[in-house]
Amino acid sequence: MRAHFLLLLSIFCLGTGYSFAQTTPPAPTGTIKGVVRDTVHNYVLKAATVSIYKADNTVINYQLSNNYGEFKFSNLPIDKPLRLDISNVGYQTIQKNITIPKGQTLLDLKNVIINPQDVNLQEVTVTVPPISYNNDTLEINAIAFKLDTNATVEDLLKKVPNITVWGDGIITVNGREVKQLTVNGKQFFGGDNKIALQNIPKNALEKIQIFNTADRDKPLDSNLVANLKLKKGKDRSYFGKISAGYGTDKHYQFDGNLNFSTPKLQLSVIGASNDINKIPNDINTLIRNSTYKGVGTSVEYQSDFRQTGLNKGNVAGAQMTYNFTPDSKDWNNKSSLTADYYFKNLESSNIGDSQTITTIADNNQLYANSSTTSSNTSDRHRFNSIYNYYKKSHRLDLSESFNTEKGDNSNSSIRSAQNNAGQLTSTNNSNGQSNYTNTDFTFRASYNYQNYNNWKQRFKSLNASYDVSMSNRNNDRTEITAFRDLLNDANNRDFNRKYLTDSKNLSQTMTLGLPNLKSIFFGNANLSGFDAEITGKLVLTNNQEHNFIEDFVNGNYQQNSYLSNNLKTNVTDFTPGISVSKTFYKNLSNRYYKNLTIKVTAAQQVINQDNKSDRSFQNIKRNYNNFVPTISVNALNLQTGSYQENLMVSYRTDVQAPTIYQLAPLTDSTNLYNLQRGNLNLREEIKRSININFNHYDMKSKNTLYFNVYTSAGIVENDIVDSTFIDEQNRRTVYLTNANGNKYINLMGDIRKSFKFKTSELQLGFNTSFNFSKNPTYTNTLFNFSNNFNTNNSVKTTYTYKDKLGIEASQGISTNLAKQSALGTSYKNIGLTTSFSGNYNFTKKFSLSSNINFNNNNPSVGETINFAIWNANATYRFTKGNNAEVKFSALDLLRQNKAIINSVGVNSFTTSTKNVLQQYFMVTLSYYPRKFGANATKK
Amino acid sequence: MKRFKHCLCFLALTCLSSLTAFSQEGVIDSSHVVTLRIDPQSARGAAVSQIFDEVKFVPLETTRESLFGNISELKISGNKFLIYDYDTKAVLVFTNEGKYLTKIDAAKLQTEKADKEKAVTHGFTLVKEGNTEYIAVYTPNNVQYFTLEGNFVKKTKNFNYYSPKLSFANSDVVIRPYTYIKKGKDSTQYSVVTIDKKTKDTVGYFKRDPKFFEKDDWYGDDPITKYNDSEAFYTNYYDYRLYKLTAKKMELAYKFIFPAINTLPKDFITNPIYVKKRFEYFEKNKKTIHGIGSSYLIGDQLYLKLSNIFWDKDQKKSLIYNTKTTELLSFQDLEPDSLSSFLPVTDSGFAYDFENRGFLAYEDKKFYTSYSALAMFTFKERSAGKTNKYPPLLENYFKTGDRKSNPVIIILKPKQI
Repeated sequence: MRAHFLLLLSIFCLGTGYSFAQTTPPAPTGTIKGVVRDTVHNYVLKAATVSIYKADNTVINYQLSNNYGEFKFSNLPIDKPLRLDISNVGYQTIQKNITIPKGQTLLDLKNVIINPQDVNLQEVTVTVPPISYNNDTLEINAIAFKLDTNATVEDLLKKVPNITVWGDGIITVNGREVKQLTVNGKQFFGGDNKIALQNIPKNALEKIQIFNTADRDKPLDSNLVANLKLKKGKDRSYFGKISAGYGTDKHYQFDGNLNFSTPKLQLSVIGASNDINKIPNDINTLIRNSTYKGVGTSVEYQSDFRQTGLNKGNVAGAQMTYNFTPDSKDWNNKSSLTADYYFKNLESSNIGDSQTITTIADNNQLYANSSTTSSNTSDRHRFNSIYNYYKKSHRLDLSESFNTEKGDNSNSSIRSAQNNAGQLTSTNNSNGQSNYTNTDFTFRASYNYQNYNNWKQRFKSLNASYDVSMSNRNNDRTEITAFRDLLNDANNRDFNRKYLTDSKNLSQTMTLGLPNLKSIFFGNANLSGFDAEITGKLVLTNNQEHNFIEDFVNGNYQQNSYLSNNLKTNVTDFTPGISVSKTFYKNLSNRYYKNLTIKVTAAQQVINQDNKSDRSFQNIKRNYNNFVPTISVNALNLQTGSYQENLMVSYRTDVQAPTIYQLAPLTDSTNLYNLQRGNLNLREEIKRSININFNHYDMKSKNTLYFNVYTSAGIVENDIVDSTFIDEQNRRTVYLTNANGNKYINLMGDIRKSFKFKTSELQLGFNTSFNFSKNPTYTNTLFNFSNNFNTNNSVKTTYTYKDKLGIEASQGISTNLAKQSALGTSYKNIGLTTSFSGNYNFTKKFSLSSNINFNNNNPSVGETINFAIWNANATYRFTKGNNAEVKFSALDLLRQNKAIINSVGVNSFTTSTKNVLQQYFMVTLSYYPRKFGANATKK
Repeated sequence: MKRFKHCLCFLALTCLSSLTAFSQEGVIDSSHVVTLRIDPQSARGAAVSQIFDEVKFVPLETTRESLFGNISELKISGNKFLIYDYDTKAVLVFTNEGKYLTKIDAAKLQTEKADKEKAVTHGFTLVKEGNTEYIAVYTPNNVQYFTLEGNFVKKTKNFNYYSPKLSFANSDVVIRPYTYIKKGKDSTQYSVVTIDKKTKDTVGYFKRDPKFFEKDDWYGDDPITKYNDSEAFYTNYYDYRLYKLTAKKMELAYKFIFPAINTLPKDFITNPIYVKKRFEYFEKNKKTIHGIGSSYLIGDQLYLKLSNIFWDKDQKKSLIYNTKTTELLSFQDLEPDSLSSFLPVTDSGFAYDFENRGFLAYEDKKFYTSYSALAMFTFKERSAGKTNKYPPLLENYFKTGDRKSNPVIIILKPKQI
């Protein structure tokens, strides 16, 4: 049903695309043509700028003269005064007043003669042409376009003929997509086009430079870069946002953001506080969503209704980028530092219910119910910094991340179990309280040397990296648990246990790679495309854990001498390897370039694990020694001017050694529904997998197709699996054991196709994923395979008409299936989501947007759940620069938001619901200050 | 690419050890030198038909077998085109109407067990033995002879004999670049040597360090271009002088003076700070002309190629200088007209085949150049509406070919003014 609707919608989109294109006025129009000629040098000018203006000096159209010096403008008004300007670097600008006479449709100016500029002439008044062509670069001169004083770069681009700013932020020049947008040659605040387009005032801009960076041997490939060149002195700027909103149910939101920029430094400061699930995890998302937005067609940044629980958050942060070489344009001469700090405070309360069905034997199932409530508060500080230094053949990257989080949590849960006959067999209620401090620090240094330019040098490249990570976790926790066996009182247990754990981890990774051995030993000899590489990887891990556990016995807390423990683990993991590769090339100039590289790596992984503990049974030393070969095949097919395809196939072996917690854990008996036991006989897991990735993308300028397919299949030998013993009271003891037969295959695909029409664009996207796995497991000694099969498919279509209208529709279907043949059970769940969103801009000041999504959840157990979330917004902008905004939002209009999470386990099926944010209405006032340059007109 | 050329030349370094006849270092006559002041940017344009008498496009037939990349060497033998394609490592033979005849690729080359490597083509030359012309193909192991029909004849280890050389009509003198002359126990390398085949008299010009190519980096074109039956031009690297070489002598013909912005420093050759730093210097001074490339004197017209390794489309590098009227024309400003069916005569401004290689050949008073099908079809699109009548060869190419077809050879017959 929905699929039909979707089809209809996309047809509707196509239809409107054509109908819009047809609405050009039928009034008679005329054509002007001519040839620009330099008679002094006797040649035609190939890329002179020819522009046509109306009497009021507004640009109607512009062109560069073609290879024959010709220009031709159609669709011009007849019998109206027009002005023709022709300009070129080194020539005097021609200005001609012309009119296409009534009754004629073609005005042929024949040869228009342009004269070289006489350098001796004093003070020639130069009118700046709207566009000019300067050594392969198309320049759009801001001053030639008359706009009101508060116009932005985006407004300017909309005025430039042949340039389109699309609803999704993509810019096209004569239909060709601009792949990268820079400001004064640098990325602007994270590289989101919209931040630059909508915040930089047109008056701060000198010109927009558009050039192609594609390979010079492939003149028809498209890789356009647009650089916004700011006027001198305007490269110092600030812009930002302050905003406050208040709504029903006392919902609130506050936002503040200020961004400063100088030629060397870009700095953003930001803060936000709300209870409507707009608390992103990183500072970039927040900045992207806090700056001035033009009236676009994309779905607005709105509450995340998928987030569970009720959340109140406060976030604040700062981000900076410092360029030590602000004038360098070469990628291999760069030195920059970026750093950000982010603070996040979150208060959340969660209520949830879940039902789990577990099959323990043929026709014997257990039903578990649980309801939990919890409340959490946390304060997190994060500081990241990255330093890049690139100089010629050397490349050094240093990065650091520091994270500290302090929080507390209190939770209570009521759980019960029923047997196959529906009889209540046990309950387990618990209350817990904890507070924790986690601190993590990571540092990474990598150095890369590459010199392929100097053909005489034998030493071509070297890669080295060093990673260190440290973490410190302190946890103070109290659990009070009461287990009641309703069939046998003797099994009842009560616990009141206090945990004080302190763990420290230090891990260091060193890698070294020496590729291109061929040139070291044999110079430039070809050796039929063979080459070799030496690699080495060393990981040193040190883990220390102190646990101090007390039980409440006889009125006071006493140390639990079994669980209180000191444990130290040292792991050395070393993998030396040698690779041999062979490359095949095939090249046909101007037609295609193909290559194929096959690389075989022989590597040996040696793992040494040493555990020292207060408990003698944990004093275990283990050595694992495995051959871990890798084979990889890479193929590239580049068809000049049409498309590029890549294929990567790899075979690899991964070893996972069992940890001390799997070999010999200390079993905490408080949670009788899950008692973990170890197994000293566990062997290492060996996963052998084949991974294939194929992608295709068009290098044509329009109607491009992109697709990517990824598939992976593997077999796990000695898979460490659960062997679970479950009794009728749902008490579980989980032992670990090795089992063979674990297999999996995953397939993921992604297709995008776009169609560009004259004033509108249609994009279609399809996403698919299939995952199948066969998991061995033991349940009450019965060996059993659980076959799990999950799929997820979605199609999405987006239609934009200029900057006026945007419509998006998507349909998704996901299925989960689990089958245990030995137990004769199978569980199934089907989920459908359909969503529509639309956005219409009535004027530059007023816009309406709305989105709705329908959810349908159909599990094989339990009832079908349907709900829809419908949101709507109306935005009105005012003041001269449209810097102030009032917005009315209505969210979850139908008050149906629910969180339903169904999950399929190895031999179980769980349905759970969580509390979520629901309907609210809110009014938000925002102000966007902006200033570019010392004396810019202040808005 | 240019470095690659040097490697080839290096391989072909010859040693004339068997010489017993008279040999000497030549004296260069500079009494007739003409100094020319040229500002390339002031060059004018002209219509194609003002410069050429004839423009002929010869699309090369595209079949599964004849498909190749682009033309890195072209030789003309009677009514046949012989092409070396680096991409497919093949020598292809086409008729002068573009019909495919045969090719010599790895499948036809002979490899013996004793050979170190499997034979591949590294280039070819035309060799006349008696009255028969052969294609002599260089492989890493030997030189292999084929008939123009593509049949194997013989192979020889004698690389020397096939080193690049030029001969003049009605003369026994041949010219060889990069050649040693042995005198007793000493041998001296010269940039260019003339040898009289009968008397074995040899004259060497421009003595050179035997480790010339190892000690420094040299960017430039082939140093010798023959432009009529008895004369050739010779140039040195990083030098603005053009020498005229005949069977009898070498004389300094032209000395060029360019605007300061295009000129190399005076001590560019002598100052050690530039040694092995040439590229860095060019990179910093992108407008410098670093030498004179393949040049031709046709009547009064001096066809000049100025070397510059960058790709600035606005810099004029291929020029025609009229030695009588001093008029200076630039190739990139030639305006296509009906003589060329309104199609450009080179691919400059679109791709780089002409810029990289200059003319592929000058034979029988005609220039040969080429461009890709991609360029041809794009030019056709751009010239839409100018003509609907193309010569039959082109007409057929546009009908049956596409952007992935084989390249087109363009034959230009300059006016003899």
